[in-house]
Amino acid sequence: MIDVSALTVKYTGRKRPVLRELSLQVPKGQTLLILGPSGSGKSSLALTLNGLIPHSIGEVLGGAVRVAGADTQHTPVAQLAQRVGILFQDPDAQFATLTVEDEIVFGLENLCLDPAQMDARVEAALAQVGMAHARRRPVFALSGGEKQRIALAALLAMQPEVLVFDEPTAHLDSVGTQQVFALLAQLKARGEHTLILIEHKLDELMHLVDRVVVLDMDGAVFADGPPRTLFDQHAVELQEMGVWMPQVCLLAQQLRTAGLPLKAFPVTIGEAVKALGPALAAAPPAPAPVPSPVNPGGAAVYSVRDLSFSYGDMPALHNVSLDIQQGDFLAIVGPNGAGKSTLARHLIGLLTPPPGTVLLNEQDVHDLDARRLAQQVAYVFQNPEHQFVTERVDDEVAFGLRAAGMGEEQVAAQTARLLETFGLARYAPANPFTLSHGEKRRLSVAAMLAIGQETLILDEPTFGQDERNAAALMALLRALNAEGKTVVMITHDMRLVAEAADKVAVILGGRLEFFGPPAELFAQGDLLARAHLNLPPLARLAALLATQHPQMAGWATLQDYQPLSEAVRV
Amino acid sequence: MRTVYLQGDSLLHRLNPLSKFLVNLALFIFVLFTNDPWAPLAFIALTVLVLVLLGRVPLLRLVKLMTPLVLIATVFLLMYPLAVRQSLVDHTPLLWQWGPLRVYAGSLDHALATALRILALLALSLPFSLTTDSADFIRALVQQGRLPYRVGYSTLAAFGFIPMLQNEVSVIGAAHRVRGVNGTAGWRGAYERLRRYAVPLLTGAIRQAERTALAMDGRAFGALPQRTYFQRMRFTAVDWLFVFGMLAVSALLVFALYHFGLLGELSLLKIL
Repeated sequence: MIDVSALTVKYTGRKRPVLRELSLQVPKGQTLLILGPSGSGKSSLALTLNGLIPHSIGEVLGGAVRVAGADTQHTPVAQLAQRVGILFQDPDAQFATLTVEDEIVFGLENLCLDPAQMDARVEAALAQVGMAHARRRPVFALSGGEKQRIALAALLAMQPEVLVFDEPTAHLDSVGTQQVFALLAQLKARGEHTLILIEHKLDELMHLVDRVVVLDMDGAVFADGPPRTLFDQHAVELQEMGVWMPQVCLLAQQLRTAGLPLKAFPVTIGEAVKALGPALAAAPPAPAPVPSPVNPGGAAVYSVRDLSFSYGDMPALHNVSLDIQQGDFLAIVGPNGAGKSTLARHLIGLLTPPPGTVLLNEQDVHDLDARRLAQQVAYVFQNPEHQFVTERVDDEVAFGLRAAGMGEEQVAAQTARLLETFGLARYAPANPFTLSHGEKRRLSVAAMLAIGQETLILDEPTFGQDERNAAALMALLRALNAEGKTVVMITHDMRLVAEAADKVAVILGGRLEFFGPPAELFAQGDLLARAHLNLPPLARLAALLATQHPQMAGWATLQDYQPLSEAVRV
Repeated sequence: MRTVYLQGDSLLHRLNPLSKFLVNLALFIFVLFTNDPWAPLAFIALTVLVLVLLGRVPLLRLVKLMTPLVLIATVFLLMYPLAVRQSLVDHTPLLWQWGPLRVYAGSLDHALATALRILALLALSLPFSLTTDSADFIRALVQQGRLPYRVGYSTLAAFGFIPMLQNEVSVIGAAHRVRGVNGTAGWRGAYERLRRYAVPLLTGAIRQAERTALAMDGRAFGALPQRTYFQRMRFTAVDWLFVFGMLAVSALLVFALYHFGLLGELSLLKIL
C-alpha cells in the first residue's frame, strides 16, 4: 500500500534533513505505530504520505514515496487526498469552516464531487463517528474530543484507504482520549483502512498495533518489527533515546533484569497477566508493599472553605472545601470544564474569591493583591510562551527578582544560579521564543520560582513534552517537593498522579468528589468511571492480579512492583 | 464567535446575502449625503418596519439591539453643540452660555441631524447583519459575487481563529499578571503592553494558521481550479423583487420628503 524508499526530506531554511534515507513498506490493512523522540521526523513522515511534503511545505532531496503505486511527488494533491487522510493533533487548528456539516462537505466540494452524492456521505461519516446528532452544530461549541471526531468524519467522507493519526489525543482530556481510542478500535475492527498511528499513550493502544517502527534523531528507521519482538529486544535503547514505551514493557524489562523468567514478553495488560501469573505463583511477593511516604501534614498552606463560583449563569464551582498542607504534592484531576482551572485561578487571585473562602498562610486571598500573592505562590501556565515578558532568557529569570526589589548584584548571582540549576546557562542571551519546547517549559518554571516561593501551582506541566523532557520535569518537581516546597499540579495523566502525587483531588461538575491519597482513589472504580478517569496501566494490571494475590492491591507504579523483583532474588 | 446574527427562517433570512448587502449599501450612501434630521428619521422608520415585517425580529429583541445604538447617537447629540464651528452658527440665537462655551440654536439643529444620521447609518446595517450567517455571505460572494474561492474560504477559516485569539489575549493577560507585571498607566503603558502581548499572540496565530493551512491542503483545498457546492446559493426573482422594491420605496420616501420641503440640502462635506 505504502512504499517509502530511501527518502530524504529537508525543510527550507534548515541545515539538517528531517528524514534521512528512510525506507518503509506498509502492506494494505496493517496497523502501524510510529515512535521516536521529539524531533525525529514522525510528523514529517506523515506529511509525505499525502503529498503535503513536497506539495505544500518542505522539499524531497532524494528517494520516493508511493501510495497504491502513485508517486506522491508527481501525483496531484486532489488524488492523494482520496487515498490518505491525516488527523492532526490540534483540534482547534484543522477546521476550514464554521459548522459541522460545512466541514464534512468541505473536502468533497474541493474534489468537485456531485452535490447530489454529498448528503449520503455526510450522513454515513457522521454515523461512523457517532456524531449524527451534531450535523447542524457550530464547530466552536464542540468539546475537544468531539472536534477530533468531526475532523475524522471529514476525512472518512473522502473515503481514503490510509488514515494517519498524528497524536490525535495530545490536546484532549481523558474523556476525549477515550472517544478517539474507541473510534480507532472500531476502524481496526472494520478492517477497511491501513492505519498509521503516532501516539504516546501506548498501553491503551497496544492491542490494536500489528507493527512498530522507531525513528531516531537522524530521521532514519532505528528499529522495525512486531511490538513484542521490538520492545523485547530494544527496551534499554528505547528508554535511553527518550521514546515512550508501554508501561507493561517497562515492568517486564525491570522484572527480567531482576532475573524473573518470562515465557513471552508482554506488550498488553492482558498478556502481562498471563506472563506474570505463573511467576507469581512460583515466587509470591512479600505480603506488604512498601507504603509510599505520606506527608506527615504540616501547617495548612491553603485553606479553601465552601468556595462556589459561576461564570455569569454557568456554575463552575460548588461548595469546594479542602486543605493543602506544607510539603504536599497535590494533583487536581477531572474532565475539561469540570472546574480544575477555576479552582486554581482562585488560589492565585486571578479570580477573586469571596471573603473568608480561600486562606493562604492564614491571610485571606480576597484581600491580597496579585503582586503580594505572586511573592508567595508561583503559578506556571500550560503554554510557557504566554508567560514570557522579556527578550532574553536571563532577563526572564531576573524579572521577578527585580520586581521583588532585589539589588542588581544579587539579581545577577541568583539568575546565574537558577539558569545553572535548570540547565539553561548557555542560553542566557537568547530570546526565550527560540528555545525548544522542553527548554521553554524549564525556563517558565525557573522564572516563576526565582524569588523562592514556597508554593508552586502548575497547569498541565507535561503537556506536549516528550518522554525525556516530561521525566526530567517531574524529577525536578519531586526534588523541589523533597526540599519542602508545596506543589499543586493540574493534570490529565493518571500515571503522573500515581508516580508523583501524595494527594489527589477529583473535581467533577464543579464539585470536589474526592480528596485523599491516590491509592484510595484507584480503589474507587465507580468514581473513576464517572469522572472518565483511567486507572494507570500498572494499577489496572495490579487490580487484575490482586484477585489471586491480594498483597498487590493498590500497586500503581514501577516502584510498587519492586517486591516482585525482591521475591525473585530470594 | 459572537455575532449579532439571529437564527430564523423569515423572508429576510432566506434572501441572498448579496441582495441585502446591495440595498444596505445604496441606502447607506444616500443617508451619508443628508443634512437635515427628517430623511435619516424616515430611513430609521423604514428599517424598523423591514426588520419587524420581513425579518420577523421580535420587538423586544429589537429594542435591546437598538439601545446601544441610540446611546451612541445621544452622546453625539450632547457633545456636538460644543464642537461645532462657531462661525457656522453664530448668526442664530444664542441659547445658553457658560464662560467661553456658547450653544446656539443652529448648533442644536446640526447636532440633531448628525445624531440621527449616525443612528440611521448604524440601523441600516441591521437587516443585513441580523439575518445573514457569515458563512452564507462568503458563499454568496464566491458563488454570485465572483470572489475567488481560495480567498473566500481562507477568510472563513480565519473567522474560526477569532475565539482562539480572544482566549489567547485573556490567558496572556492572566499569565503576565501572575508574574507581577504591573501595567504602567498612559500611552507608554499601552505601548509596553502591546509589545508584550504581540510576540506570544503572533507566535500562536502563525502556528495555528500554518496548521490549519496544512489540514485544508490535506483535504484537497485549492487542488482544482473549480469546486462544487453542497449548499447552492441562488439569486432568485424574490431577490430582484426585494432589491427593486426597496429601492422604489426609498425613492418614493425621498420624493415625499422633497415634496414637503423636509429633505434639506444634500452634500457629503458638511462643514463647508
